[in-house]
Formats: sequence, structure tokens, C-alpha cells
Amino acid sequence: MDFRPLNDTERRQLIGALRGNAESDRAILLDRRDTSFAGTSDDVTDEEVIFAIKSVPCHY
Amino acid sequence: MMQAVVSTASKWLSGLHRTWLRPRGAVVRSQPLPPTPGPVYLPLDGIRVTDGVGHTLFEEYAAHRAEARGDEETGWVLLGLREATQAVVLATLPAGAQRDASVSHVRFNSTAQAVGSRIVRQADRRLTILGVVHTHPGSLRHPSDGDYAGDSQWVGHLRGSEGIFGIGTADAHPGNGALFAEQPRPHVQTMGELRLSWYSLRAGAPVYQRLPVSLTIGPDLARPLHSVWTTIEAHAERLERLARQQTGVTFAVTDDDRGRALVVQVPLAEPGAAVRARVTEKEVRYYLVRDGRLLEADCTDDRVDRGIYLLLAELAAQE
Repeated sequence: MDFRPLNDTERRQLIGALRGNAESDRAILLDRRDTSFAGTSDDVTDEEVIFAIKSVPCHY
Repeated sequence: MMQAVVSTASKWLSGLHRTWLRPRGAVVRSQPLPPTPGPVYLPLDGIRVTDGVGHTLFEEYAAHRAEARGDEETGWVLLGLREATQAVVLATLPAGAQRDASVSHVRFNSTAQAVGSRIVRQADRRLTILGVVHTHPGSLRHPSDGDYAGDSQWVGHLRGSEGIFGIGTADAHPGNGALFAEQPRPHVQTMGELRLSWYSLRAGAPVYQRLPVSLTIGPDLARPLHSVWTTIEAHAERLERLARQQTGVTFAVTDDDRGRALVVQVPLAEPGAAVRARVTEKEVRYYLVRDGRLLEADCTDDRVDRGIYLLLAELAAQE
């Protein structure tokens, strides 16, 4: 397992997730393989975004 | 009555039997947890556009009009945060030089935009697609009937089943020249002769609604990518495939002594080690990052996914 310190972005995301959990009962997601922090329920998956991007219709 | 009692007893005995016969140490398969309740989205009552995004839209619209293809329609995908009744636009993904466009239509290069979205969302996974801006060469300041036919289906894929649609036209009356932007109406922004009119459309709605827009201070998170967009377009299919196949792929824009380029990095198993590709429109260079050192690899494959896999295979063969 990788025990390196969090970088700035990861630290900011984790603090935001902890605050969201404490203040708004938002879930904190764990990676099922190693229980590492995997974001919050506010996160949007790549698949959702990319599907929408690839579905943008022709505009006239 | 007797039948119900026998049925209940059979189920209980069956459960007991399964519990006793389960091998020791076997994992009890639990029922999946109910899904976490998602955010509630109400109809949008306005959007906030960062000054960075505003700069991009007006500057690139003006630059587009000065190009050889300036009479064609163009546009941008908008990324940002969707809140309950508001949205904040934080990034723009351009239509691209490989767009399919004419004076009466535009279809974006969506493969490059997909890669762009992966790069922008490295910083914040909450960013989602909010809508699109596209331009009209004449003075039609609202989406056309043809736009409605596609958009009314498409908004079902968006958060809140609602999309944001900006229409760019070049028919404003520059009262103060092009020194600064103005907002003559709640849903309209102008700068010089350029005008952006903002609308929203919900799934099932018969018409677009005018959408009040306000400016806030903030970046266009995708702007650094615009300077390497031709590179992203040239390698988009292979970059997208690599990102789907390899966990932990990261992208960055770099300025070094060779100029500006896109850097793609695939982590290796050992801490701090990675395979890196420096990608420009016409050239790909490969490196091994190990022990804080950057070693250039003897690989000249201009297909970036293939080059990285060849390097990974060579490293695996050495171990």
C-alpha cells in the first residue's frame, strides 16, 4: 500500500469531504480495494461526463 | 394457515442449514447498501460565469471571426458546478479545428473534448457538463428549432435534466467600444459588437427560458489546454483509450526549452516511478521517471498509446 503524504489537491478534497460529511451528512467514498479515500457523493464520474460530451447534438 | 406455517418453517430451516454448512471464514455476502441520496436539483434560476470563462468566450469568438473559417459557426462545451438552483461555469472546451461546421451548423470534435474533460476534472471531480455555447452568423439571438430538436433530447443526460445554452451573435451596438463587457439585459452580455444570450432548457419543456447571468471572479480551468488543443485533437483517440485502460494516468501542460507540450504520465508500481510522454502535434518523446531522474527512452513511435505500452513491455522484460 502507498503511504505517501497527500498532495495539495488530495488534501483539499479530503478536507472538503470531511466538512461535507460533518455539516451535510454527505457520504465519503472509499476505494473497495484498499479503503483509500475515493471522493464524495458530489463527485461526477468520467463516464457520465464523457457520455454527455459525446452526445452533444449538432447545433444549427 | 397450516400452509403458511410450513412455508415459514421451511425458509427458516433452509437459512439455518445454509448458515451451518457455510465454510468457516467464508465471507457473508451482505445486501448492497441503498444508494446515497443524491443532490436535489430544482429549475435553474441563474448562472454565474467566471471572469476567466467570460474572457475565453469573447476573446476566442473574436479570434474565430478573424480566421479563414470565421464565417462558420463555432462553440464551446461548458463545464462547472451544478448547484440546487444555480450553476457556476468554470471551464470551456473548444469545438476544435476538426469540428464539422458551416455557416449553418456546428458539430464539435467530441473526442478531443472528452480528453479535455478528463484533464480539467483532475483538479476537481465535482465538475460536470452544464451545457454548450454556439454562435450564429446572423442575428438569431436564441436557439433555432433545429437546436431544440437535439437539445430537448440531450438535456436528459445532464444533472437536473436541464442544460445551459449560450448563443453568440455579432450584432451588438458597441456603446463603449470593446474596452469592457456590458449587460444590457439580465440574460445578455455584450462586448464590442459581440453578444452572448443565455438560455436554459429542461427535459420536457416546450421552449427555452431566458437565464439571468452574472459574473464572478474565477478561472477558466481549461484555458491552459486551449494552447495545446491541436495536439489534443491530433492524439485524442489514443489518449482517450490510454486513460480508459490505465489507472492513474495524469495529464499536464508543460513549457520547457522545446516549447509548449502536453505531458502524459503513467505511474509504475514502484513509488515515484513513471513512464512519461511529451506530446506535440507532430512528435512524441518518451521518458522514464525513476529516483527523481528523467531518462529519455529510445522510442520514436508517434502513436502515444503504442509507444507507452512498448516502453512498459520493455521495462517488464528487464525485471
